[in-house]
This record gives sequence, C-alpha cells and structure tokens, in this order.
Amino acid sequence: MEFQVPTINILLIAPAAIVAGWGVLLMLIELFISDEAQEQWRQIVPGLALVGLALAFIQTVGLWGYDGGTFILADGHPMIVVDNFATFLNIIFLLTGALTIFISVDFLRRTGLERPEFYMLMLFSISGMMLMGMANDLILVFLALELLSIPLYIMSGLAWPRTDSEESAMKYFLLGAFSSGFLVYGIALTYGATGTTQLPGVMAGIANGGSLALAGAALLLVGFAFKVAAVPFHMWTPDVYQGAPTAVTAFMSVGAKVGGFAAMLRILIIALPGLGDVWAPALAVLSALTLIVGNVVALVQPNIKRMLAYSSIAHAGYILIAVASAPASPDGVSAALFYMFAYLFSNMGAFAVVIAIERKTNEGVMLDDYKGLAKRHLGLALAMAFFMLSLTGVPPTGGFSGKFFVFKAAIEANLIWLTIVGVITSAISGYYYLRVVYTMFMQDGDGEVAAPEALKWTVGFAVLVTAVLGFIPGPWFDIARQAALQGMQMVAGG
Amino acid sequence: MSFSFLEFLKSLVELTTGTYLRQVWGAKPWVDPTLDAIGVILVATFGLLIVLVLIWLERKVIARFQDRIGPNRVGGKYGLLQPVADALKLLTKEIITPSGADKWAYNLAPFLIVITALMMWAVMPFAPGVVGVDLNVGLFYVLAISSVSVVTVLLAGWGSNNKYALLGAFRAVAQMVSYEVPMILSLLIPIILARSMSSVDIVKAQTVPFAIVVPISALIFFISSLAEMGRTPFDLLEAESEIVAGFHIEYSGMKFAMFMLAEYISALFMSGLFTTVFLGGYRFFGLEMIKTASGFALGNLIGLIAFFVKMFVVFVVLVWIRGTLPRFRIDQMMDFNWKFLVPLSLALILVAALVDKALPVGVNDWTRAGVHLVSNVVVGAVTLEILRRNGRKQRTAHEEVRENADIETAAAH
Amino acid sequence: MIEQIIFIVISLFTLMMGWIVVSNNNLFHAALALMASFLGVAGLYVMLDAGFLAMAQLLVYIGAISILIIFAIMLTRRMMQTEESPFNSQPGLAGITAVSVFAVIAFIFWQMREFWPLGAGEGAMPPADKSIILGSVAKLGEYFVSPDAFVLPFEVASVMLLAALIGSIWVAWPKTEDES
Repeated sequence: MEFQVPTINILLIAPAAIVAGWGVLLMLIELFISDEAQEQWRQIVPGLALVGLALAFIQTVGLWGYDGGTFILADGHPMIVVDNFATFLNIIFLLTGALTIFISVDFLRRTGLERPEFYMLMLFSISGMMLMGMANDLILVFLALELLSIPLYIMSGLAWPRTDSEESAMKYFLLGAFSSGFLVYGIALTYGATGTTQLPGVMAGIANGGSLALAGAALLLVGFAFKVAAVPFHMWTPDVYQGAPTAVTAFMSVGAKVGGFAAMLRILIIALPGLGDVWAPALAVLSALTLIVGNVVALVQPNIKRMLAYSSIAHAGYILIAVASAPASPDGVSAALFYMFAYLFSNMGAFAVVIAIERKTNEGVMLDDYKGLAKRHLGLALAMAFFMLSLTGVPPTGGFSGKFFVFKAAIEANLIWLTIVGVITSAISGYYYLRVVYTMFMQDGDGEVAAPEALKWTVGFAVLVTAVLGFIPGPWFDIARQAALQGMQMVAGG
Repeated sequence: MSFSFLEFLKSLVELTTGTYLRQVWGAKPWVDPTLDAIGVILVATFGLLIVLVLIWLERKVIARFQDRIGPNRVGGKYGLLQPVADALKLLTKEIITPSGADKWAYNLAPFLIVITALMMWAVMPFAPGVVGVDLNVGLFYVLAISSVSVVTVLLAGWGSNNKYALLGAFRAVAQMVSYEVPMILSLLIPIILARSMSSVDIVKAQTVPFAIVVPISALIFFISSLAEMGRTPFDLLEAESEIVAGFHIEYSGMKFAMFMLAEYISALFMSGLFTTVFLGGYRFFGLEMIKTASGFALGNLIGLIAFFVKMFVVFVVLVWIRGTLPRFRIDQMMDFNWKFLVPLSLALILVAALVDKALPVGVNDWTRAGVHLVSNVVVGAVTLEILRRNGRKQRTAHEEVRENADIETAAAH
Repeated sequence: MIEQIIFIVISLFTLMMGWIVVSNNNLFHAALALMASFLGVAGLYVMLDAGFLAMAQLLVYIGAISILIIFAIMLTRRMMQTEESPFNSQPGLAGITAVSVFAVIAFIFWQMREFWPLGAGEGAMPPADKSIILGSVAKLGEYFVSPDAFVLPFEVASVMLLAALIGSIWVAWPKTEDES
C-alpha cells in the first residue's frame, strides 16, 4: 500500500462538508425508504436536516478564533481559509437555513409542495454559501457560487406547474447563468493578468496586471452585483421573488445575497485592495443607484413579496455602502457583516409573517390581505410591525444599529454624499414599510392566519434577536469587528 | 543514402517503409508532410477497400447460419466478386433527393459519417511501429470521434423529411448516447491497467491479454460496442418491421452505399479496437518481436497477420451474433444499459482501481493479472446473484398478485 | 507561418459559424452551426497542443451538449413548418452593447501588447516546456485528485453536479395526482 497521507485539516472544511455530506446522506437513506414509510419519512426529514445544520453549527462555532487554511497548494497558499470572517458568515448561513426550515415545514405541507428533496437541495445550497465565504481561489469561488445557485433555481420552480413559479425559476436560471458568464470571464481575465487564480497570488500579480486586471475586476464585480441584486443588475429580483414559493424567497433573499457579499468582500478586500481607489467609487455609484431605485420602486408595490424584493434590493445598497467605504474605513467590513446579521433576522421574520398570511401558493400576498391583522392575530401583527420598523431603520432595532454602523463607516471614508443618499432613501423607505403597519392596525379585514408553533417560535426568536441587536449592539459589533479584522490581516500578511 | 529497390522491398516486408524513405530523402521540409499524406491515403484506402471483403464475408457466414449457400455466381464458385457487382449497381443507381428535404443536412450526412468512420482508424496499431499516429489520448480520441458520428445520424434523420427516418434517428441517438457510457467506463479499466490512453501503450502493456485479466469488462465493452454500432441485437434504429429502415430510409444509390460503407468500416474498427484493447492487438506470444540474425525484423509482419486474424475472428463473432439473436425491445434496451451495464461497470472500475493501487509496486504481471481476474469475476458473480434474488422477489410478488386475483375472480363467481 | 495561417483559418471558421448560430432563421441549422463552431474551438485546442482538452471538447460539447440542444429543439418546436427570426425587438441596442464590450476588451488587449508572446517586448512569455505538454494528461489527472492541488474544487463540482442532476430529475418528474 502506498497511499499518501493527505495533508488536509479535515476539521477546517468540516462545516461545509458536514452540510453537503448530510444532504448526500439523506438522499442515500431515501433510496432505502419503502413506499409505505414515505409518509413518516416526510415527517422527519426537516428534523434530520436541522440535525445536520446543528452539527455543522457546533463545528463552526468551535472554529471561532481560528485563523488558517487548508488544502495548501504547492505554492503555499491554501485553497480555503478559515478565519473569523468565514466563521461569522458561516453562522449567518446556518442560521438562515435553520430558520428557513422552521418556517417552511408547515407552509410546504399546507401548499402541497412538500418533497424531501427540498431540504436536501437546501443543504447543498447552504454548503455552497459557506464555501463562498471560505474560498481563497477564484475557481472555488465560481464553483461555490454555482453550488449555491443551482439548488435555488430548482427550488424557485418548486410550485410548478404554476406559471409564476415556473417563470421565476426560468428567469432566475437564465439570468443566473448569464451572470455566471460575467464572473467566469472576469476570472479568466484576472488569471490572464496575474497568472494565478489564488487570491493572494492575484493580489501579488495585480501590480503588473494593469488594465487587464481592471477589466477582470470589473467583470467580477458585475457577476457579484447580479447575485446580490444591485441596480442595474436587479431586473430578475422582483419576478423571481414574487413567483418563487415564499419559503424559498425567504431563503434566497438572505442566503444568496449574503453569499454574494461574502465572496465579493473576500475578493475585493483580500485580492484586489490594490485597486481599491478604482472599485470603491464604482461601488459607491452602484450603491447609490441601488438605494434610489430599490426604495423608490418599492413605494408602489401592492404585492408584499414584490415589495420585499425591492426592499431587499435596497438593503443590498446599504451593504454596498459599507463595502464601498471598506478601503478607507477600518470599520467598513465589520459594518457590512453586522448589517447582514441584522438583516437576516428582520427579513426572515418578515417572511415568516408573510408565510403565515399566505393561504395557498402565492395567494394572500397582497397588501390588502394584511388589513386588520392586528385584530385577527395581534402577536403576528406586532412582530411584523417590529420587523418593518427594523427594515426602515427606526431605533431601537437591529436595522437601526446596522444602518448606524454603515453610515458611520461611510462618513469615516469621506463618502458624505453617499451617506446623505442613504439617509434620504431610508426616510423614503419608511413610507412603504409603515404602510404595512398602517394596513394591519388601522384597516379592517378578515382571513385565516396559519401560525403553527414552529413559525411562532421563529418569529419570536427573530424579534428577540432584532431587539437585542437594537438595544445593545456594542458587543455584537465587536464580534463583527473581530471577524472583519482577521480578514483585513490577511491583506496585510498577503 | 541512395535509393535501392531491394532495400525498398525489404522495408515493405518489414513495414518500415516510412523510416526507409525518410532516410533516403533526408531531412527536407516536404518529406514529413508527404509521408503523412501517403499514410493518410493508405489507411483510408485500406478502410474503404476492406469493406468489399467484409460484405462478402458477412453474407457468406450469415448464409451458412441460415442454411443457405450465399453468393455463388459472380466471380467464381464462392461469389468472390459479388460485393464489386453490388457496388457497381449502387453507383449506377439514381440519387434521389426527397422533396422537402433539408438539402444541407441531407447531403452532408453521408460524407460526414464515412469521414468519422475513417478517422477513427488513425490510432489503430496494426503492427509494431505501424500506427497512423500514436496519440497520448488515443482511446479518448476514438470515443470523441465516435460521439461525433451520432450527429451525422441526426443530420440524416432530420434532413430526410421523413417521419420514419426521424424516429430512427431518435432511436439511434438515444441508443448511441446511452451505450457510450458503459463503453467509456469499461474502456477505463484497460486504461487504468496500462496507465496510458495511448493505444500503442495499451498493446505493449498486455503481457497477459486484458480479456483474460478483466473478462467482464471485456464483455461489457463488446456488448456496448455492438449497441454503439447499431448491430443485432441492438438494431432498433433500423428495425424493418417497425420503422422500415431507420435514418437512412430516404437515401438511394451511392449515398445509401456510403451509410453501408460507414457501418462496415466502424464494425471492423470496433473489432479492431476490441482486439487492441482486450486481445493484445498485434501481440502473438512474442513472435512479433523476432528479428533474423541479419537484423531483419520479420516479427512486424507476423504482428500484422496476428492482428488481422484476431480482428477478423472478432468480426465473425459479430456476424455470428447477428445470425443468432433476435432484437431487443426499446425499453429492455434502455433498462439493460442504465440499470445493469452502467452500475456494473462503475463497480468494476472502483474495484479495479482499488485492487491495482493495493498491489505492491514490483509485482509480476501474471500475479497482477490473477488478482484482477479474481476481483473482476467476484464483482460479476455478486452482481448476478443480486439480480437473481431481485428477479425471484419480483417473480414471487407477481405470482402472489396473480393468485390473489384468481381468488378474487373465483369469489366473484 | 503555416501554423498562423491554419490558426487564422480555424478562427475565421469558428467565428463564421458563431455568426450563423445567432443569425440563422432555422433553429436546426443554428444548432448545427453551433456544433461546427465547437469543432473549430477543438481545432484551436489542438493547435495549442492541448489534445486532451480538444477531445473533451468533441466528446462533451459536440457529442453530448449539442445533441441535447437538438433534441430539445426537436421536441419543443415545430421547426419543420416555422421559421422564426432569431432577433428580438432590440437588435440595435444589443449590437451597440456587444461592439462596445468588444472595443473595451480589444483596447485592453492592445494596451497589453508588450506582454504578447509574439511581441518583441521584454515581457514576452518563454516558450512552453514540451515535456509538460506531453505529460499533461497525467498531470491533469494528478492535479484533480491531489490535496495540494484541485481536489477540493473537483469535489465541490461533483456535489454541484449531483444537485443539478437531482434537480433536473425533480423538475422533469411527472407530478402525481395529489401533488398537483
């Protein structure tokens, strides 16, 4: 026997590997489930998927504070990096997955969409997101992005043969493939300019890359802007969010967006800081456009899912402010991380309430269906109001803290005009968020509300975290700062 | 070096004429392209002409299977010139282009199919040192080209503007694409054993012919190459009783002849490939390496003869199968591929790779072959046993259902 | 010199076929032209001494993907009868975009001319090592499975393909009564 002992630290890749492997395992088990046992199997699959996420969560939390990489290539650079930045993001992804499972079990059963594969595909997607944050190589970034996206394409078509769901899947798939093309071309040009796909190597090679590297960076940016739905690459978002089953929308509004930002931050901050004075203004303009378009168009949306889609575009704009200020401000990255963490809970909570109101697939998602929710189910109405306030950025909520840190970073980076745009658009956003609150409390209406225990607990948990983030943001921001610092150290260390 | 006719003849027998001419002509820029061109022409002509022999052989053998005599008028008692007469007949027939045909597709298909069939011969090692081009991705090249030939079938089927042709093409493509999978998978095992994709290296590695080392893989390859060629029992693509003649129904005259040509060329090529990959190619107990005392490499000629004998034996087996077996049903054909051949080949690859890795480095060839043989046969036997159990289960379930039905009908009465 | 001529011929062929793909009214012919274009790309790979890649291109793109495309066309359209224009209502805009993207990239490559292998500049790349090219198949195989090379992307790709496979089956599977 002459097997080489692989020089891999399995523990580092474990968080992503557990999630992906758990998905494969569930799929294998399903092969041996007899027809009679299918019903019980459907009952326990969500629980089993949660167990997998929990295992990965334990491993991820255990890696907090670790700084290093594995799959070290011949030239000494690791293929994946595990630092607090990656760990922080992994926690966000795992929480997203867990919350999605909690809100989707009853919803899928109610709408007749329940298939065990849903949870397995979601596990695959989560593993792709986690790899996005850890990847230290452009090839891996691309593959992780595809691993993230492909299950999402399928999941958004979950409710076929409903045409809106099919339309959603088709649009998402075509535009996703289109944006992947940009990304790959960007990677190719970057490789051409620097002769490597390794992020540290790219950074080292950027000096003599010149305009080719710039073009590569621009195309990479476009690719990620598609994924995070930044204007003018946001066209797909409203239709996809509206057509996809709401549980899937919730999942991708957080997961895919944060995944895109994870890789974007990693690449821009680590590999391309040398080009910072070039991409930061570009991002600032992108962010201003995103803020304006997202918030203004959201004003006239009667469909709550569509409204949340535009709101998610707008929030991408706020995160982009933080990213744009990252080269000049020490707190840029940590503000982005904190914002995403706060956004996760506000947004997931809001979607949980939408799911509770939604009777069948994509029925009961209009603003009118929220009339009189306060009388029908006061708890949910209060929670929804709280999430809306948080999304607007009213203190004391997580959303407010997030926006505060983002604007602070922008001012530090001397992006005053961008801050002003951000504040004004926040004020505009108040109109459509608070209109939901107004509709719930001030108007009369009736209709069924399906709020099973799991969903209630999820909403409660989201309210709790959002409130905590609003009242005492300090310690949480310190954690985000620790996460960001390590990412920045990588820059210094090369 | 000046040209001497005697030396030239000697080099012909040695099969080293290329090297000889290169020596004579010296290193001039036109020498290599000329020799390459000659080589291409030789191989292509060989491929085209050997078909005459193949047609005669197939008709004769099939006739014997069916208790007939076969061709016996043209060209003496054995009908040796029958294929020539057939070819002349086809040449003089009118070439019809059906109305509504897609001119480009319809006219391109016959040429492309012959071209792809001939291109595959480029990597066939006929004898030691006699090979069109020794690519380091030889077998991969063969697979790539044969997958291109699928396209030509589609071209023909669609271009003819005929529903039977289109149906035939669909069937052909479905079949060829499906059976490509087990074919590639079973070819991987010789590649693992020889540690090379070059056809020459694979022949060199066969101290023990791979048909003995990994008989089950050889069998899978043989079966899937049958399907790949669309020969009985996989000739659904031209099942006369169902879709008349398949994708080439509308072709007549020489264009029809091109399809037959391509079919025979690739049939012989598959026999040759089987010979090369599993039967040791031109190897014949070391005789192919002998040289006379004066340094005359007689072995090359022996190798050539050995290769041809093996190849034609395999070809006759193809004919034998055609004369014996009935046609598959289309669902059986697909099930057989995806539910039996593909999983089995995957298991075989896994086992072969693990066994090969686990064997110590300097082990002798025969021991290696023995271990592989045992593992190969064990995998095959286990598969068969699983199938048998499964079949029994299904049969009993079926019988139970039938019995219950009988009881119910009885009760109803 | 001869090599350059061959290169130019193959490139022109590839581009021409690409043009036919987007401009031809007949979808079937467009698909065939796509195949021819792939063939041209394979030819370029051969010229770059990347034999394995060329064969993979033939096997995967012509032997599988194009066939799939043709099947999809045949199963979803009545192309025997209809000939639709491949252009939508905005060919002008699309043309401007494409040309400007091309211009930008061409400009960038022009700026990079000192790095061109054929250029006389100091940055000219050294000729590739033949031995690396000859052993490239084995190297490729090793790189795919070595922990200090690309085993992780390789595995991630396999999970991704698994997800895609399952997803496509899931989407294509006929829905049973109780689920519709």
